Amino acid sequence: MISRRDFLQQVSGAMVAAAASYPLLSWAADNAEVVVPGKEGMIVRSARFLDLEMPPEFADSWITPVHHFFVRNHMHEPSTLDANSWRLNIGGEVEKPLILSLADLAKLEPHSVTNTLECAGNGRGFQQPNVPGVQWGKGAVGTGRFTGPRLRDLLQRAGVKSTGKHVMFRGLDEIPGKVPAFIRSIPVEKATDSDTLVATHMNGAPLTRHHGFPARCLVPGWIGAASCKWLTEIKVLDKEFEGNFMKPAYRMPNQPIAPGGQVNPDDTHAVTGLNVKSIIAGPADGPLLKSKAVHIHGAAWAGEADVVRVEISTDSGATWQPAQLSKEQTHYAWRLWNYDWKAPKAGDYTLMSRATDSQGRTQPQSADWNPSGYLYNAIDQVKIHVAA
Amino acid sequence: MSQRDSFQNFLARQCVWTIAVFTLLSVLQLWSQSPELPPGPVQGKIRTACLECHDSRIIVQQRLNKAAWTKEVDKMIKWGAVVDAADRDAFIDYLSSNFPSDKPAEPMSRTSSPKKRDHP
Repeated sequence: MISRRDFLQQVSGAMVAAAASYPLLSWAADNAEVVVPGKEGMIVRSARFLDLEMPPEFADSWITPVHHFFVRNHMHEPSTLDANSWRLNIGGEVEKPLILSLADLAKLEPHSVTNTLECAGNGRGFQQPNVPGVQWGKGAVGTGRFTGPRLRDLLQRAGVKSTGKHVMFRGLDEIPGKVPAFIRSIPVEKATDSDTLVATHMNGAPLTRHHGFPARCLVPGWIGAASCKWLTEIKVLDKEFEGNFMKPAYRMPNQPIAPGGQVNPDDTHAVTGLNVKSIIAGPADGPLLKSKAVHIHGAAWAGEADVVRVEISTDSGATWQPAQLSKEQTHYAWRLWNYDWKAPKAGDYTLMSRATDSQGRTQPQSADWNPSGYLYNAIDQVKIHVAA
Repeated sequence: MSQRDSFQNFLARQCVWTIAVFTLLSVLQLWSQSPELPPGPVQGKIRTACLECHDSRIIVQQRLNKAAWTKEVDKMIKWGAVVDAADRDAFIDYLSSNFPSDKPAEPMSRTSSPKKRDHP
C-alpha cells in the first residue's frame, strides 16, 4: 500500500516532470513541429491515429533507425501494455490451443529477418485521379531487422489441423465507435514459411510502442498490414478471414481498370506481396545545386523478389544508365544504390530511378490505378536545377 | 526492506510517473497542434463528429470530388460518426468545397523528439 508520504513524493515527481516538459513542448509548437517522443523529423500524416511518414532523404541507410521508421496505425494504440500480463492466445483449427507469455516466447529459438516493410498505400498521394485515405508520399517504407520465434514453431506446438487454411491475427488496438476491428489473415503456407515471425525485437532492441510492443507479426515481403502489431491472438481458420480489412479493404482488381473506374468487389484479390520499386533519397526534389557533380542515391526493393538492377535517367527518361548497388543485401531487404553524375551544363533536370527484380518486373512509367491507391510503384523522379 | 531497496522503489515510481505525465502532455500537445478546419456553416458540427476520433490533418490532406466525399461521409456514419441525418448533405458540401480534387496539396508538419526515444 502506498503511504501518504510516498504518494506526495510521487506527485511532486510528476509535477517536476510536467514543469520540465512544458517549455520543451511549447518550443516544439512554436516551430510548427509535432512532438512525438522517439520520432524525429517525420512527416505527420495524422497525429491521431498516428501515421508518420519517413521523408525520402532518410532512405539512405540499409537499416532504418527506429526514430525514422514510418508508423501506420488504423486505430488508437493500446492505452496499456504490460509485458508481464501480456498473453498470446493460439487457437482455432489446432489440436492443442496455447496461451503463451512473453517469457514463453523468449524460450523459443529466435530467428532474425531483415525486411523492408512498406504500407500498401505508400504513394497513394500520387494516384490520379485522387483516392481517399492517408495521402502517403514516398516514405511509408523502411527496413528493419526483426527478431523473434518463428510463427511456424508456435503453430507446430499447437498442431494445425488439416482443416487449417488461413491464419488470423488480432492486435490490441483500441477500436473507436463502430469501426470494424483490424483483423486480417494470411494463408497457412505463408504463415509456416521459415521467415515469418512473431517478432519481439526490432533493430536489436525490444519493439517500441509505435511498432507493436510487446510482439507483432512479421510477414516478410508482404504489405505492412499483414504484420499485425500488438499481437494478442492467432487463430487458425478453415478459410480466409471475412472482415472489412480483408474485403473490401486491401484488395486489388483482378483486371486493369481505367483511372477513376468502378471495380466489382467480387472481381478482386487480397493484396499480399510488395511491388518492385525504387525511390530517390537524394538529391531532394526542387533545390538549386551549386555543383555540377551530383550524387544520386536511394533505395530499391521488391517484396518477395530480389532487386537485380536499378537504372538512372538524367534526361527525363530518354536514356538510362546502371546505378551501383550496395554490397549489403539479403532476401526481403532493400538495396541501396548510387550513381555519380556530372551535369553537362547549368539548367533544369529531371532525375529518374527505376528498379528491376528477379521476377523480371520493372517499375512502370505510370502505376496501375486502383480505387484505394495500393502498391503505387511508378518510376521515381526529382526535379533539380544546377546553377551556372 | 533495506534503505537501498526503498530508494530504488522510490526511483522506479518516480520514473513511472514521469513517463505517464510526459506521455499525457505529448498527447495533449498533439491534439492542440492540429490544423484548424476552415470556417463554414457546419464547421462546428464537423469538428464534433470527425475530431472525436481523427486528427483534422486526415481531412485537410484529402483532395476528392463530391462523389468520393459522399462515400467517405456515409462510411464514417456507418462506423459511428454522430451526424444528424439533416446535416449529411451539408457535411458533403462543406468537405467537397473546401477539399476538392483540384486544390493543391498543403505542406505537412514534421515531428521532433528533442529529449527521449520511443518507449513501450
